Amino acid sequence: MDSPLLPAPRQRCRGAGEQERTVLFDRRATFWILYLPPLLWLGLFFIAPLVLMAAFSFRADMRGALLQWWTPTLQQYAAMLETPGYWRLLGISAVLALIIATSAVALAYPVAYFLAFRAGRRAGFYLVLLLVPFWTSYLLRVMAWKIMLGSEGVLNSFLLYTGLIREPLGALLYNRTAVVITLIYVWIPFAALPILAALQRIDLALFEAAFDLGATPLRRFLRVTLPLSLPGVLAAFFMVFIPTVGEYVTPLLVGGSRGSLYGNIIQDFFTKAANWPFGSALSMVMLAATLLLVALAARLVDVRRLIE
Amino acid sequence: MPPPRARFSLAASVLIVALLLAACTGAAAPTAIPPTSPPPTDVSPADLTGRLTVLDWAGYDAEDFWVDFKSTYPKVNVSFETGASDADIYARMKAGDQADIFHPYTGWLQFYVDEGLVKEIDTSQLKNWDKVPDHFKAIGQINGKQYFIPWDWGFTSILYRTDKVPEGIDSWAALLDPKFAGHISMWDDGPGAVTVSSYLHGYDEAAITSEQLAAIKTEWTAQRDLNLFYWAGEPELVEGMKSGDIWVAYAWQGAYALLLGEGVPVAYANPKEGRNSWVGVYGIRKGTENYDLALKFLDAKLAEATGNNVVNLFYYGHSNQDVMSGISDETLKQAFSIDDPNILQKTNFTPNLTVEQRDAWTAMWAEIKAGP
Amino acid sequence: MNARPGPSLLSGYYFGLIALLYLPIGVLFLFSINTNTSLSFPLQGLTLEWYQKLLDSEAVLRSARNSLIVAAGSSFAATALGTMVALLAVRYQFRSKGLLILLAVLPLIVPFIVLGVALLLLFRALQVELSLWTIGIAHTVVALPYTLLIVVARLAGFDPNLEEAAMDLGANYPTTLRRIILPIIFPAMVSAWLTAFTVSFDEFALALFLAGTEPTFPVYLFSQLRFANRLPIMVALAVLLMIGTLTLVVIAERLRRTE
Repeated sequence: MDSPLLPAPRQRCRGAGEQERTVLFDRRATFWILYLPPLLWLGLFFIAPLVLMAAFSFRADMRGALLQWWTPTLQQYAAMLETPGYWRLLGISAVLALIIATSAVALAYPVAYFLAFRAGRRAGFYLVLLLVPFWTSYLLRVMAWKIMLGSEGVLNSFLLYTGLIREPLGALLYNRTAVVITLIYVWIPFAALPILAALQRIDLALFEAAFDLGATPLRRFLRVTLPLSLPGVLAAFFMVFIPTVGEYVTPLLVGGSRGSLYGNIIQDFFTKAANWPFGSALSMVMLAATLLLVALAARLVDVRRLIE
Repeated sequence: MPPPRARFSLAASVLIVALLLAACTGAAAPTAIPPTSPPPTDVSPADLTGRLTVLDWAGYDAEDFWVDFKSTYPKVNVSFETGASDADIYARMKAGDQADIFHPYTGWLQFYVDEGLVKEIDTSQLKNWDKVPDHFKAIGQINGKQYFIPWDWGFTSILYRTDKVPEGIDSWAALLDPKFAGHISMWDDGPGAVTVSSYLHGYDEAAITSEQLAAIKTEWTAQRDLNLFYWAGEPELVEGMKSGDIWVAYAWQGAYALLLGEGVPVAYANPKEGRNSWVGVYGIRKGTENYDLALKFLDAKLAEATGNNVVNLFYYGHSNQDVMSGISDETLKQAFSIDDPNILQKTNFTPNLTVEQRDAWTAMWAEIKAGP
Repeated sequence: MNARPGPSLLSGYYFGLIALLYLPIGVLFLFSINTNTSLSFPLQGLTLEWYQKLLDSEAVLRSARNSLIVAAGSSFAATALGTMVALLAVRYQFRSKGLLILLAVLPLIVPFIVLGVALLLLFRALQVELSLWTIGIAHTVVALPYTLLIVVARLAGFDPNLEEAAMDLGANYPTTLRRIILPIIFPAMVSAWLTAFTVSFDEFALALFLAGTEPTFPVYLFSQLRFANRLPIMVALAVLLMIGTLTLVVIAERLRRTE
């Protein structure tokens, strides 16, 4: 067969037992090589900062040096508990994130399918085409959309000119719907990626087998393709859902007065109020809530079984 | 065969990281700053070397805004760090930013003094100091000492489209007027809202009671239904006004001058309660090793060429009164109400907040935005 | 196989999406050749002066260069680390496995503001000066979940028999990894790299917090937004980057097709 499978010369003459030990040693050594870099990186640049912020959530106020020992207090969490508005907003943000993630994944699936099975050799090219717009400033792209959808923008001018509407459509921008639509639009290319990765590993022989057994394309999709692509679908769902709960940029740009989501509130406490303790408390609550949701979802879907 | 002791190594790594952190936090000594220039009296300005770091807002690193310093001391290396907001600048200074000079705005000044972050300024070293009017000098004084140098300033008032609001506007109440529902834009700032309400109802801004704050919260919660979007930066506001989405807005005169210059029909109100004014100041970090150089920088900031650029490029005012009286552009004269010599008497300057006020007013605003 | 009406529907869907994605960019392109300094219709005249001014603007080009450096560096690191964790997740059993995976995915949940502020504190505590490196480190952390998820999606359920066969034939584990597994997951790694690059290139919040004196493009753009007359130059840069990237991509595709 091909060269990668030929044994390396020096190992050819070893006995079976020694070979086994060597392989085990390599596997163990490889384990540490794979394990330590991510662990140390995450430990230093993620866990340590996170612990710092968690510590901040137990701080009474911002007075004095930032890095000092303080007596922990629960007053920030108490203040949060007393404000039902924040809990409501967290719930709303989670529900919206659910809607956005589900829609984005559903709308991304055909794209991934197209890339995996219809694009042929051009798949890589088409994939990159999808991502290139994201290397333009998001700010500028949204600005361009706002100009097109604004009350004196292109769309409204056209509709007014043709007489389809009498007054400019105000509902296109500056509300929650605009936020949801924008976010779905933005996430579709990203959501396609894990789905594509999963679709690519489906052995086409399975399709042939299905065809031979008389399955219609729809049946084949439902019984073969979809189940096998499920890890990718789930990965895509979580990839979109989790960060969207704390999203703040898009609500800021197109959400209007009522469009603020939970992430905006956190953002405000850090960048407007210089109130890190409360901002951290809000963040910790969001983290805990999201973790809870993800753990629940992972229970429903046996993630471990999917990975191994 | 499962690799052994993976859990232990995970715990050990975290522990090591924690220890590292604790060790470094404890004995923190300031990062070594390159040696400063020799005493000024020995070296001519053109040959003076050294370095300065300035923590400033976005855009102010452009040479136009320190052109006098650049031309007088060409060999001094000036680098800039960007702060995104007053809260950001304040937090960075608290976190131990090593910038020599920073640029906060009125409302936030007391915090720097209370936290011991700012050094008193020896104004006898500033040649341009006498060109600054007294009331501006007073704005930079906290607890009787000159901690800050006023630099840029401007008005806050109501900006409105004259074609959409032909009857004109004469009161801050316009921002809460149902007549303009869906076409109002308020600045995304809690203290700003408290300010407007205090003008409207005659509250003492420096002593807002909790009943008053509750009333303010109620009225701005209702206002939210009339408000199209809260603007966070002037470009957003300008685009909104230009596109006709916004008819009435809380605005600084920079936006006014910009829109006027583009031919959009706008006017800047003179509300009967009086306009608001804010002032941007520069302070020197306590513990800086470049104090003398920093003083020279601030002195140059007050000079004319720099001042003219602030006025012409940003449409903000400058604290040097020669610069202000030298304005000839009609648009700018209108924007600054130069022709009205009493305008500053009718203007309410933003007082400095206390920590309690800052926390309470920002929390109120967040609750309004989070409300149903 | 047999032709079906499906393909044209699917490709229509894909190209429809592409059209929607590129529409705002088309609009931006129109503005970049517009003589008017504000972004509005109707266009007032055609000009290339913004591109000219762009090429003269050292600060703008430097910010673009900074973004490229940070994105390239962080995406390589994120892909490497993500692949490592993916391999561990699918191929090994160890007690802290769940914890490691959770850790690697956790950055998704943490708001960028929080991470930015926290990292700022950390770097101050460690006396590390803010620079492009600090931004790059932050970007690696936030891109890691994406690279991990993409590579895992490819690797999951991957037939272990191939590896066993290789090892039965005498290859040691690193060789097996290198010559069997890596080539097969390579497309996923490229996808992951692209994603990480994309995440980093236009990232603003972390870049703002952790920047020293060298801004990345989004941060620079933000700072220039206050000058209405500078906006067309920024738009010109954005369009130029877009055209440059598209050209590279098309050339790569052409090269691949001639092979």
